[in-house]
Amino acid sequence: MREEISIWFFGGVLFLIYGVIICLEGLWELSHPLVNPPVLNNLHAPIWWGAMMGVAGLGYTVKFWPKKSRG
Amino acid sequence: MQLQPSVALSTYLATPAHSLAHLNAVDIAVIAIYFGMVIFIGFYLKGSANTSEEFFMAGREMTAWIAGLSFVSANLGSLELMGWAGSAYQYGILATHWYWIGAIPAMLFLGIIMMPFYYISKVNSVPGYLHLRYGDGARALSAVSFAFMTVLMSGINMYSMALVMKVVLGWNLNFSIWVSSITVALYVGLGGLRSAIYNEVLQFLLIWLGALLVPVLGLIDAGGWTNLKAQIGARLGSEYVHMWSTTGHFSQNPMGIHWTGLVFGLALVISCGYWTTDFLVVQRVLSANNLRSARMAPIIGAAFKMAVPFIVILPGLLALAVLPYHLVGESQAVATGQHSYNEVLPLMLVRYCGPGLLGLGVTALIAGFMSGMAGNVSAFSTVWTYDIYGAFLNKKATDQHYVAMGRWCTFIGVLISVGTAYLVQHAASIMDYVQGLFSFFIAPLFGTVILGMLWKRTTKAGGFWGLLAGTCTAIGLFLWVHLDPSALRYVALSADAKTLAEDMYRALWSWLVCVIVTVTVSYATKPKPLSELEGLVYGVVPLPVEHDDHWYQKPIVWAGIIAVLFVILNIIFW
Repeated sequence: MREEISIWFFGGVLFLIYGVIICLEGLWELSHPLVNPPVLNNLHAPIWWGAMMGVAGLGYTVKFWPKKSRG
Repeated sequence: MQLQPSVALSTYLATPAHSLAHLNAVDIAVIAIYFGMVIFIGFYLKGSANTSEEFFMAGREMTAWIAGLSFVSANLGSLELMGWAGSAYQYGILATHWYWIGAIPAMLFLGIIMMPFYYISKVNSVPGYLHLRYGDGARALSAVSFAFMTVLMSGINMYSMALVMKVVLGWNLNFSIWVSSITVALYVGLGGLRSAIYNEVLQFLLIWLGALLVPVLGLIDAGGWTNLKAQIGARLGSEYVHMWSTTGHFSQNPMGIHWTGLVFGLALVISCGYWTTDFLVVQRVLSANNLRSARMAPIIGAAFKMAVPFIVILPGLLALAVLPYHLVGESQAVATGQHSYNEVLPLMLVRYCGPGLLGLGVTALIAGFMSGMAGNVSAFSTVWTYDIYGAFLNKKATDQHYVAMGRWCTFIGVLISVGTAYLVQHAASIMDYVQGLFSFFIAPLFGTVILGMLWKRTTKAGGFWGLLAGTCTAIGLFLWVHLDPSALRYVALSADAKTLAEDMYRALWSWLVCVIVTVTVSYATKPKPLSELEGLVYGVVPLPVEHDDHWYQKPIVWAGIIAVLFVILNIIFW
């Protein structure tokens, strides 16, 4: 196989980026409440869902970080 | 973080006056990152798709997990996600049958019984197996019908997604169709099956992450599962929350089905036909790196498939209890401006998801569409190149030529799909017939393949005439009911039967005709010598022995665990 990058690395990076963006959006909403909040907005889903995604993404990014090609 | 979207992009994406939700810059960033990632994967894997084995079969290097997730993901198209969520709203928990009894036994059967024959014969496609077992006639019939139906389904999936995006988000129909299809063409055309599979795994993860919040928050909103059942029962009746107890008679459940149709028509014929002979899904398993992976892939896929109702069926049920308005059928929605059943999943996303999460949910829907379309076009290009072009039109081309043909076919397949999407836009009734059309070919094909694999006496003439007779029976029964609706009492065994029940019984009868004709013609014709059936038929040559270090590595053990879970779930939701 030519490729060194695992599919799980791609998944990890994507989840990490999404987790950070969504978590930050949730934190921003604490000080800037939405004009038309969704139902159950009081649960602050973006914060915990984003954080969980970020942690899972970070784990996969580190675990499947591309290794240097041999030879 | 509440940024304003750029003016240019918002011109294309949103017309808020007519849409239910409005995406902000964070949502658009989430969607854009996804598109960037899938295209990057396509370019990255371009160098790994130089030979036909690499381009069409991903070099047969996929692990069981990757092949298994891709196997399920290729099936999770937009019709599958949004359509079945809508069906759950329309028919209640009965829709789960299409995920459990309509999938799990067939997937386990593929992994345990059928996969060894596909894998050790080293065929590149299901029509390729028919060629080895029955010759060119059965191969041509199967390849042409598959290629035709695949691009048709792809276009209908595309139109369904674009329509929902238009209604819910106000997106321009042309924008949705062209951006998503060009992206799929690019990454499949560049990286072949490997790129399609890599992206399908990514898309599968995204579908779960983007859609999982809806049932989680929805259950909190509805006060838990018990309260949800009570609310639906009080509003519509208890038949909406029971899977089997109301299937004793066609008129006792909202779907108008009977348990015999579910068990024999859906589980035995339609589901086995789809999951074991539809090349769209079988191609993913054939890319596995060894026989054990090829057997484990459908079993892993079955485990995930069993969980999909949580993100598809449950949102539809939740909508019955929590949405403050009523959804209607597609034609009524168009006439009255109300929302249709098919929009239930995006509507629930909009209900619970604010900026960022809404972008993630929309990305999940787009990912579902793209995984389904990539599955369709990659299977189309393989069947066209191997089983039509390479088998009948140009048998002696170089390997490089076939790879180039595969790349071109990917783009052409996408273009035909786009054309189909526009055709459906102007003739929506086509959508009503396509699901039925698909079963015309799948049910008899299963009869032909299973007899070919399990019975060495089956002959070339038996296979061809059985397949043809079964297909003609399915078409004939469809036309009979279409022209004379009272014929339903004969085809579906009851005048109370509804469309889905008719599909099940039509599939069952066409499969039976295929089997009877195949057996009869086979007995009347000369069988192939056993030496020509090696590796193709059960009992002719012993299957290779797999050496697992531990008992828990055996595919049969995992298949058993999934089967037990499947039975338990059906009892719980009886």
